[in-house]
Amino acid sequence: MEVTEDRRRLTLRMTVLRVGVAVAFGALAIGFWSLQVAQHERYLEMAENNHQRTRALRAPRGVLFDRNGKMLVENRRSFNVSIIREHTRDLDRTMRLLAEVAQIDPASIRDTVKRHLGEPVYQPILVIEDASLAQVAAITARGLDFELPDVLVEEVHMRQYPTDALAAHLFGYVGQASGAQVRSGASAGAVVGQSGVERTYNTLLKGQDGERHVVVNSLGREIRTLDEVPPTEGRRVQLTIDYDLQKATEDGFRHAGFNGAVVVMNPSTGEILSFVSLPGYDPNSFASGIDRATWEALNTDELRPLQNRAIQGRYSPGSTFKLVVATAALEEGLIEPDHVINCAGGASFFGRYFQCHLRGGHGALDLRHAIEKSCNVYFYTLGNMLGVDKIHEWSEKLGLVGLTGIDLPNEQESIVPSTAWKRETTGERWYPGETISVSIGQGQVSVTPVSMAVMIAAIANGGTRVTPHVIRAVDDGGGWKMATPPVVAERVAFRPETLSALHDGLWMAVNASGTATRARIPGRDVAGKTGTAQVISNQGRLAARGSGRDLRDHGWFVFFAPKENPQIAGVIFGEHNEHGYLGAPIAKHVIETYFAKQEHQPLPTLDAAPAPDMAPERDPDSILFVDSSPIEGAAPTAGTF
Amino acid sequence: MFEKRLYHHIDWGLLAAVLVLCAVGLSQIYSATGGWTQIVETQIYAVLLGLVALTVCLSVDYRTLADKSHFIYLAMIVALVYVLLFGTVRGGARRWIDFGAFNLQPSEFAKLALALVLAKFVGENRRGGVSRMDLVVVGVLTAVPLMIIARQPDLGSAALLIPVAFTVAFVGGMPMRFLGVLAVVGLLATPVVWQFALQDYQQERISTFLDPSQDARGAGYQQIQARITVGSGGVWGQGFTEGTQGQLRFLPVAHNDFIFSVLAEEQGFAGVIVTLGLYLFVILRALESARLAKDRLGAYLVLGVLASFTFQVIYNITMSAGLAPVKGLTLPLMSYGGSSMIATLAGFGLMLNVRMRRFTN
Repeated sequence: MEVTEDRRRLTLRMTVLRVGVAVAFGALAIGFWSLQVAQHERYLEMAENNHQRTRALRAPRGVLFDRNGKMLVENRRSFNVSIIREHTRDLDRTMRLLAEVAQIDPASIRDTVKRHLGEPVYQPILVIEDASLAQVAAITARGLDFELPDVLVEEVHMRQYPTDALAAHLFGYVGQASGAQVRSGASAGAVVGQSGVERTYNTLLKGQDGERHVVVNSLGREIRTLDEVPPTEGRRVQLTIDYDLQKATEDGFRHAGFNGAVVVMNPSTGEILSFVSLPGYDPNSFASGIDRATWEALNTDELRPLQNRAIQGRYSPGSTFKLVVATAALEEGLIEPDHVINCAGGASFFGRYFQCHLRGGHGALDLRHAIEKSCNVYFYTLGNMLGVDKIHEWSEKLGLVGLTGIDLPNEQESIVPSTAWKRETTGERWYPGETISVSIGQGQVSVTPVSMAVMIAAIANGGTRVTPHVIRAVDDGGGWKMATPPVVAERVAFRPETLSALHDGLWMAVNASGTATRARIPGRDVAGKTGTAQVISNQGRLAARGSGRDLRDHGWFVFFAPKENPQIAGVIFGEHNEHGYLGAPIAKHVIETYFAKQEHQPLPTLDAAPAPDMAPERDPDSILFVDSSPIEGAAPTAGTF
Repeated sequence: MFEKRLYHHIDWGLLAAVLVLCAVGLSQIYSATGGWTQIVETQIYAVLLGLVALTVCLSVDYRTLADKSHFIYLAMIVALVYVLLFGTVRGGARRWIDFGAFNLQPSEFAKLALALVLAKFVGENRRGGVSRMDLVVVGVLTAVPLMIIARQPDLGSAALLIPVAFTVAFVGGMPMRFLGVLAVVGLLATPVVWQFALQDYQQERISTFLDPSQDARGAGYQQIQARITVGSGGVWGQGFTEGTQGQLRFLPVAHNDFIFSVLAEEQGFAGVIVTLGLYLFVILRALESARLAKDRLGAYLVLGVLASFTFQVIYNITMSAGLAPVKGLTLPLMSYGGSSMIATLAGFGLMLNVRMRRFTN
């Protein structure tokens, strides 16, 4: 009885166990079904993400050549070390070990990583850019890239610019795509052009990054390559720049000992032969990941080396602007070239006395001599006859209003005032007295060196406003193809009388008893015009005395050569060099180099010693009085000479 | 001692299923360790030694063994204490006796000794059912080795003794209300145990299990990787030696605790179902032996041995799928590990023994 009872209970409880086991196995089967069948896709993707890595194969950027095929900007191989947080087990340890092995400051790694913590974890954080061979050797010897699966040593192509900062502002520099650039289509972590040609032609130059899919183990070690898409090198680009001319320009500046900007071009096509902005910077320091200290220094430098003065600096054109006034007066038919005006050392307009720079006056002169001598009174008179709106109109035709359309980023607009412009910007009406200052390139006239180059080119070529450009040809893989030149912005055929008068005046300025005799080259018929741009009004100068600001005037020199069928035209802007004529020797050196090259002669060299100081020389461009404020009917206040 | 007719009563089906599982385990170890390695060889020796142990456990009448169970039990306690004092330390735990050529893990055999002594004690008391006093004795007999093993520390192996005691007591006639009391006490004890008995890393394991992503690189890593491994297998699997998770070491100890994950990855849901089926077959077949057993001693012995086996299988497979906290419990018959293999096969020897002798006196 008891035994059967016992037996029955045993059977019952064993059934309970059996059912329990069956239920447990059923649950397991369901669990596995859920993982392996229902959620298979998701886990498969996670597994692939575990063991498959996409390694970017960075495309080398396109090489830049000068117009004669000389290589200007190339690439060199270098190594980058990054941390990929997605594969990080212990970030602190990774950073510590990396700093220790690469012998760099742990704080800098920490800083870099911290700055990028907001980015997705799969995004590599570049901690050592352009690592030295010693660092790479140390890292690979320690097996850090194996021991730490999150450390990535990547071979990349580093941009290699000329070592002497040659044409730095023209080339620009490259850097990792910023947040905004990534949002507008650049792939994260990609190197993109940040300024200059690198930026304008980034699409051509960047090439197509390739990628390699690899299988890695849990330590990040590559086991095998699944497939590989090789990178496509960026297009090779030929610039209009002439290396020798570029070098001659920069040498000339170095020789002269001041900063400034130069744009030299072919006046009939707008092809830029030489493009300078000084002080420059070393674009190589950007290519290898600029450190904060250097960046800060570049940004806080009072000389502003990052500013591309040739297209971003705006200055009063001074006497060079007289060419615009002369062109306007002739083309509007207000005067003929032989129109004579008497200069008595000054003249009164609207109850105010405006001085000429030659105290005794130039006497009676026609337009040609007025240009040669840069007589203020002559152009005050013309300006007064034209009115500001005509001056504005002709400035625009000659390229001095707005953008020139040069194929470089961040160009600033040039400004020549008009009544409408003043009403729009200040809401005030234009006072005719202001026109007098404008007619000698002072007042609110504010132009970029590149626009001045367009202006002088138009005068040289007889009225065609060319669009300056730096790209000449592109190698699309199947050989060089000439780039389509930009459309000519405007074509105004000058009257022959206009042209000959302007050209004669400019020739005389250099070759007769003019203001720019330092640019004279026997047999080359250089034509040119100097100008001095006041940095601050004479009253302002008094007020600002002792403030430490550099208040010295800027000097301009615009030129072309030869006088008949000009082949080369340009502008030399000397920052705070006080005298426009100091730019003339630079132009002379550039022009000599140009013709030497044309005729396959040895290139000229500059004397080792700076040119003997011919000063004190009277500067005909110094502005004696400039004040664009409305006439107060006050007694003329002559500025200091 | 070994009569010829007994040979005919051996459960060949069960034995075959057990051997198939060993073979499946071996092939997955081969795959997970990257070919014909020393690990595979060691495992083969372990299977052979296990078969010897199985034969030994088969040959001696289980009743004879049960009669000596108190000696076996005491020997086991001595061995465990010896390990605690003089054992070989590996991975921070003192679990092994070093015999020079091989290491033995006595805690694996403790399950068998306990099953034997409990079956003897519960099965041979004539009162029918178990009294409160009996339960206390069962509790003490279980608690002693459990405490010692837990001190090694090896909480996983220690916990395996609980199903042995529980199952024997349950089928032995433990009053049902006792279950309720146990459940209540267990629930109440949970916070206390959490607070005072569990080490920090153990607490972490459990809290990580509840939310693996909170520590995806640390304790949660294995669990996440286990799920990925299993999930990526799909229906038909990645193919033998083709699983990336195990092959590329994203899943740690793939040949050991996570052998089933590797199987799931490479053989897919199909392989999982077949293997689960084999295990279920083995367990139900063994349960059948218990039902057929000639006496309560035999039935309890089978159930005691089977209890820890079943518990371990279910727990390990659950863990392999990342569905239970990671605990260093191997999968019996498949995982790499000599002591575990020998003890498990010895256990099957005992179960076959009971069934084989169901007609003898």
